[in-house]
Amino acid sequence: MKICITSTGSSLDSNVDPRFGRCPYFIIYDIGSDTFEFIENGSRQSMGGAGIQAGQVIAAKEVSAVLSGNFGPNAFRVLQAANIKMYSGVSGIVREAIEKYKNGQLVETSSANVESHYGMGKNS
Amino acid sequence: MIISVASGKGGTGKTTVAVSLALAAEYCQFADYDVEAPNADIFLKPGIKNIKKVTIKHPYFLTDTDKDFSGCAKFCHYNAVAVIGTEVLFYPQLCHGCGGCILVGPEGAVREKDVEVGEVSKGFSRPGIDFLEGNLIPGSMRTTTVQNELEKMINRSGLVIIDSPPGNSCSMVMSVKNSDYCILVTEPTPYGFNDLLISMDVLDSLKIPYGVIINRDGIGDTVVEDYCNAQNKKILLKIPNDIEIAKCYSRGGTLFDYDKSYKEKFQKTLEEIENSIFQ
Repeated sequence: MKICITSTGSSLDSNVDPRFGRCPYFIIYDIGSDTFEFIENGSRQSMGGAGIQAGQVIAAKEVSAVLSGNFGPNAFRVLQAANIKMYSGVSGIVREAIEKYKNGQLVETSSANVESHYGMGKNS
Repeated sequence: MIISVASGKGGTGKTTVAVSLALAAEYCQFADYDVEAPNADIFLKPGIKNIKKVTIKHPYFLTDTDKDFSGCAKFCHYNAVAVIGTEVLFYPQLCHGCGGCILVGPEGAVREKDVEVGEVSKGFSRPGIDFLEGNLIPGSMRTTTVQNELEKMINRSGLVIIDSPPGNSCSMVMSVKNSDYCILVTEPTPYGFNDLLISMDVLDSLKIPYGVIINRDGIGDTVVEDYCNAQNKKILLKIPNDIEIAKCYSRGGTLFDYDKSYKEKFQKTLEEIENSIFQ
């Protein structure tokens, strides 16, 4: 089973990025084999709809859950359509976030927790 | 001849100046391009004679056909379409109505429908002012679509006064791009000065001649005036910072109601602009 973590860097020691659509990297972690790959987030610089584009990229990776700080309403719709579980409010080191997920310490989110354009810099 | 009135900073007196120019000219076309918050009608009091709806085309997807719509999502530069498996998600607030998804999508399975984004109104104001105004539906992002509709109604064989929205982005460029001359209204404050420089940059790039009107003269500092003098930028007029002007404005009055001599001042300004264009 694979999960995705929004990350500020390309390693498991990077920090979890609080934005879904505009994070620099996605870490795709395979729980079964304890391996990971990272993908650069090409949607980061898009004018609008970054979460929508990123959501489709992640859906194509066939992950079953995404861990991030926040999800906007547009990204939420895409991930929901792809039956991907979302965990918001996740912070700290990517490796620790994965551990928390494995231990069942994270709570699944049932709605978008920020407005559109949250990741565009006005809030951070 | 088109004269546009613009300002980077909001609330510097664009409408006050644009309305004064129209009333000084007596016979002209006046177009309120600030479609997100038009307000020149308060001062020109036109009788609106007809209103036309402005629409754009949005796609809808016939997903019961089991066809592959992923090309639509790939094509859309604005990410207004997402495709997850067989499900198509459409985000109307991001759609620019370009119709691209119809061209690249499965044939016959992406259709178009009209969506209202605003309206344009036409009226007549004393003494001989043809009045045009655009109104964008709140929440819509299609500002320039409504402005485009106004543009079609402009008749530049006579004098046209365009009241631009504040700022220096797309909607301002739309308002000034066809003008023969642009008046930049500013106030003598650091904020006013900063945004004035950006406006000047825009107009220099578009190769549109311009002059400056300093409103609320007396507040702030002399940085705008010093800069204009040093850089040879024309200062057309200075309007003093007087509470009586604000009182008059808040009752829907014009500068001429405050002081009759402004009619002559603005007529002189118009003459000056005309001479500078046709020199």
